[in-house]
Amino acid sequence: MVARERLRRLTRSIRFSAYWMIAPAVLLVVAFTLYPYIYAIWSSIRVTSPLLPPAFAGLKNYEAVITSIYFLRSVKRTLIFTAASVPITVLLGLLTASLLNRRFIGDIALRALVLLPWAIPISISGVIWRGFFNGGWGALNALLYMAGIIPKYIGWLTTPNLATLVVITVQVWTQFPFATVLILAAMQAIPEELYEAAAIDGAGLLQRFFYVTLPSIRAMLAIVIIFEVLMGLTAFDLTYALTGGGPGTATTLISYFTYAESFKMLNFGNGAALAVILAAVSLIMILAILQLIPKGALIGGEEG
Amino acid sequence: MTRGWGIKLVTYLGAILLTMFILAPLAWIFLSSILPEASILLFPPDWFQYGLIYDNYNYIFTGQVPQTPLVTGALRTMISQEVRLVPRAILNSFIVAFAVMLVNFLVGSLAAYPFARLRFAAKTPIFFLITMSRLIPTVALAIPYYLIVQKLGLIDTHWALITIYSVLTLPFTILILTLYFRGIPKEIEEAAQLDGCDPFQTLVRIVVPLALPSLIGTGLFAFMLSYSEFLFGLLITQSIKTRTLPVILATVSWNPDVTWGLTSASIAIGLIPTLILVVPVWRFMVKGLVAGGVY
Repeated sequence: MVARERLRRLTRSIRFSAYWMIAPAVLLVVAFTLYPYIYAIWSSIRVTSPLLPPAFAGLKNYEAVITSIYFLRSVKRTLIFTAASVPITVLLGLLTASLLNRRFIGDIALRALVLLPWAIPISISGVIWRGFFNGGWGALNALLYMAGIIPKYIGWLTTPNLATLVVITVQVWTQFPFATVLILAAMQAIPEELYEAAAIDGAGLLQRFFYVTLPSIRAMLAIVIIFEVLMGLTAFDLTYALTGGGPGTATTLISYFTYAESFKMLNFGNGAALAVILAAVSLIMILAILQLIPKGALIGGEEG
Repeated sequence: MTRGWGIKLVTYLGAILLTMFILAPLAWIFLSSILPEASILLFPPDWFQYGLIYDNYNYIFTGQVPQTPLVTGALRTMISQEVRLVPRAILNSFIVAFAVMLVNFLVGSLAAYPFARLRFAAKTPIFFLITMSRLIPTVALAIPYYLIVQKLGLIDTHWALITIYSVLTLPFTILILTLYFRGIPKEIEEAAQLDGCDPFQTLVRIVVPLALPSLIGTGLFAFMLSYSEFLFGLLITQSIKTRTLPVILATVSWNPDVTWGLTSASIAIGLIPTLILVVPVWRFMVKGLVAGGVY
């Protein structure tokens, strides 16, 4: 009896420990995630212009946002941007990981080098590439001209379609290192025996890639793809620093549009409505992630 | 043996192309930071026409205005004081990022241990609430954060940035540490419990020393994210008292008074801390991920 009483007291004290130990983290997250989120929903259904008295707006902000031609354009641009940058990023990540998974002279140096774009703040990457692509004196124009490839300088950032291509290129540059490292980690976890067995069966390099490597890293690829989709849909720093959303509104993606609506137009109500829409789309993506990750992989049922 | 040759050729060709893609813009930054502005603006291009200079770096650190017209450029004779704020902005970013790292060590490991080892009600929902909260796009939280910070009177303070960045980095830290803590053999902790340690004591005496590489890795990762963050830095900071490096560099780069050479020099300086940190961060991160059994 005494032993059982002691045991019960022990488990209770352990449970109490658990609660106070997670409390700071939970409080921070609730205070700065749930509360602001509810706040955003609240202000999205109100008139919150600095010029007008606050009032209930119902779904008018949403209506104003969704029917705005600028909104539709920025959505279209964001979709094109994401649909172009994600496959390229993942493919380049896959190729780079395959490359780094081999032994060659200078492989370690290249591994460190690949991390560089990831380590540089995205906003600063935007500035760096703006100088590289500058239409008047940028390095790319100068190099192409000196090589005799172009007869006169090209306005990379002042021609709408080219600017879109530039933004996609730089997005790939900033994103592919992370994809590479995740994919490489997955590749290195593949047991060597699988490759040996495939080699004995006479599989060539490509066959080994398609029948051994690819199936083994499928789950990681799914995670990488969805992560990159999220990064594409919510890209902000990049266009702010690289193009300022221009020329005109050619590279104004939905995040930048939301920011401009809130903090340049000072229309918090519309901005909040936009933010809620953006978050809703992202939440759908999150649910997709949860479907793809096996439950036990993140938190153990038995051990916990 | 022609096949082997082909593969080798593709490997090295790929490595060279990759290196060029990664380094091209960075090489341009470094080069233009030591070129006179006149050389940069020259058409047809001839970058080495007027030799190399270090006046841009000199100006940022000592405030000595470049005198030669070659440096300031024919069109742009003005020079902005804003660039001289870069060293201070690095310090601001450093203070904020370091504090965020400490918060992550403390709050992160405290929260991760119960998730890894203890049994309590609503464990899985709380875990998902925390880890998934980070996936809401930050732009969606920008207005409420701004208004909350304003209401608390914390606009233009380090505290506001430290709090926000901690919230943004903690979910990832907790996820990785939980995975890592679960990978530690249970027997060691059980021995400590038999000796009468409660969970907190077990964490401090047994788990933290064992998980040190992963702790350092996630801490440095939080440091890097905070050091890089742009949107909230832009919204919350208003003076050089708190302005962070990404914000200063973005405004410098849009400032028509600042020559490209000067912008390049300030970027080159601003990148040094990140470049120093990238290798250790990555080594610890990969180790933490692999050992944690994410994969």
